[in-house]
Amino acid sequence: MTSSQSASFFQSTFLNLRRDFFSSKIGGTVSLLLLTLLIFVLWTAFDWAILRAIWLAEDHQLCKLDDAGACWSVIAARWRLILFGLYPYDEHWRSALGCFAVVLTVVLSCIPRFWSAKKIGTIWLLGYGSFYILMQGGIFGLSSVSIDQWGGLALTVFVFASVAVIGMPLAVILLLMRRSEMPIISQTTGVIIDVVRALPLLTILFAAAVVLPFVIPGWMHGDKLYRVILGFALFFACYQAEILRGGVQAVAAGQEEAAKALGLSYWHRVSRIVLPQAFRAALPPTINQFVVTFKDTSIITIIGFFEILASGAAAFGSAEWGFAYVEVYVFIGLIYFSFVFCLSRYGAYLERRHTIATR
Amino acid sequence: MTTAPEEIAIEISEMNMFYGNFHALKDINLKVKTGERIVVCGPSGSGKSTMIRCINRLEEHRSGTITVYGTELNDDLSNIDEIRCETGMVFQNFNLFPHMTVLENCTLAPMLVRKMSRTVAEKIALGFLEKVQIPEQADKFPGQLSGGQQQRVAIARALSMNPKIMLFDEPTSALDPEMIAEVLDVMASLARDGMTMVCVTHEMGFAREIADRVVFMAEGEIVEEAPPEEFFKDPKTARAKTFLSQVLGH
Repeated sequence: MTSSQSASFFQSTFLNLRRDFFSSKIGGTVSLLLLTLLIFVLWTAFDWAILRAIWLAEDHQLCKLDDAGACWSVIAARWRLILFGLYPYDEHWRSALGCFAVVLTVVLSCIPRFWSAKKIGTIWLLGYGSFYILMQGGIFGLSSVSIDQWGGLALTVFVFASVAVIGMPLAVILLLMRRSEMPIISQTTGVIIDVVRALPLLTILFAAAVVLPFVIPGWMHGDKLYRVILGFALFFACYQAEILRGGVQAVAAGQEEAAKALGLSYWHRVSRIVLPQAFRAALPPTINQFVVTFKDTSIITIIGFFEILASGAAAFGSAEWGFAYVEVYVFIGLIYFSFVFCLSRYGAYLERRHTIATR
Repeated sequence: MTTAPEEIAIEISEMNMFYGNFHALKDINLKVKTGERIVVCGPSGSGKSTMIRCINRLEEHRSGTITVYGTELNDDLSNIDEIRCETGMVFQNFNLFPHMTVLENCTLAPMLVRKMSRTVAEKIALGFLEKVQIPEQADKFPGQLSGGQQQRVAIARALSMNPKIMLFDEPTSALDPEMIAEVLDVMASLARDGMTMVCVTHEMGFAREIADRVVFMAEGEIVEEAPPEEFFKDPKTARAKTFLSQVLGH
């Protein structure tokens, strides 16, 4: 960039700023006020979180001082409890690896080149298999850990991934039944979806955890965790089925006619023509649904699961750390944020991919 | 053609079709011989499109029979599939699959329905894309093509299934005027190759040049059936006269 170019660049930026933010007296005043406020907030946060913060676990006495900022010592001292919950201390590496296996499974499932029934099936089988073996133990010389002791990030991620992996195919099945030409099937499905959507998630999870064992035969009980995941997946599927139905309605009627005229069977029409286009049309609300579901996993704490929010609460639950709840919540907030942010970016990537492909 | 010229491709007899309570097609009788080129015309709402959409079961007739090369169109799904394999259809709005490339559009059905390998299906598809004169667009997406190009792809896609019969449902009605000719040229060259064709169209010039027979429909009935020179010069019914004066009058 030559000096005259850079000068004109700054000049035009300056002119644009003046036009956009300082075009009138009131506008200019409001802009200045808001700018001051913004700087103040950012500075306060920065000062608290970085400049005056206490970082090391052994320095935690300093946190009590009046001018101390954020007490990150609590994270340094208690991060294992937050991330792994009640999982036996010496086996934490298994929980970490298990968590990694599930995250890897989800990431691989998101890559378009693995989108075939065989590859996805293999990935899920390997991912969940290794998660289960690592967490449960009892074979390969791993000591057995009961599900009550699972917790923290591994549990949160496992519940989310399972709900998504079970819920998405279930949503497609509900969608197809809802679109069935047989009124009995479509109307029954409609009622099921409406009923499940009309209930709060918590009610469904309670029913799955507490009520279901009275209703179904003993051999079907499984662990409470799996019942809760199935209930959660049903809830997810009912919402997602309606989202996909919106997507299907965005597919032109002529698409299915053209596929019929070519002699494609029902399953080929659905899997090659209707669903791929419906998923594209329904992508933004689908990503939204995943984000909501990820954050909703914290609800299972109420029925006695030690997911990351509950293990976080335990981290500041002792007399020693009782004052440091803000720091713990900020830390957990950052974890949620990094997952959800990745989801949003992935959604944006998919949208971009489709626009490029069809333009 | 290897088949005997007199072989009956499509036979429709006493066919009735309803939309709810609306009697859309009344006692339709039509025979199409192998290699014959039929143009169906008539005022809008006369049931032309509905009739050809009944031939491959995009619409369901209520009574009467439709037979395509000896296979009767009834609730038997395998019959429907068989007939759909033998009849290609081209739509007014192209209906290409927007999420697939031109080549994928043309190879999808041959691979899934005819169980061809990808290599064979692509070779056949590229052959037909050459025939409709757009082989260079094979890797583009439909959205990147003009209307005329899209319609030619749609023709190539239908041909890639090697159908015995081609149905055209107003193939040029959604096109800008300057693109109509390129599509009609392709259709004319198909006709010269001896393809059995049923075209619903308002292109009377095309009808005059290509058709063996013109079928004139009004209010759900076949009103008149005649070779084009006879139909255009000397229509028998008042309705056909009115229609022709409206279409050709300006």
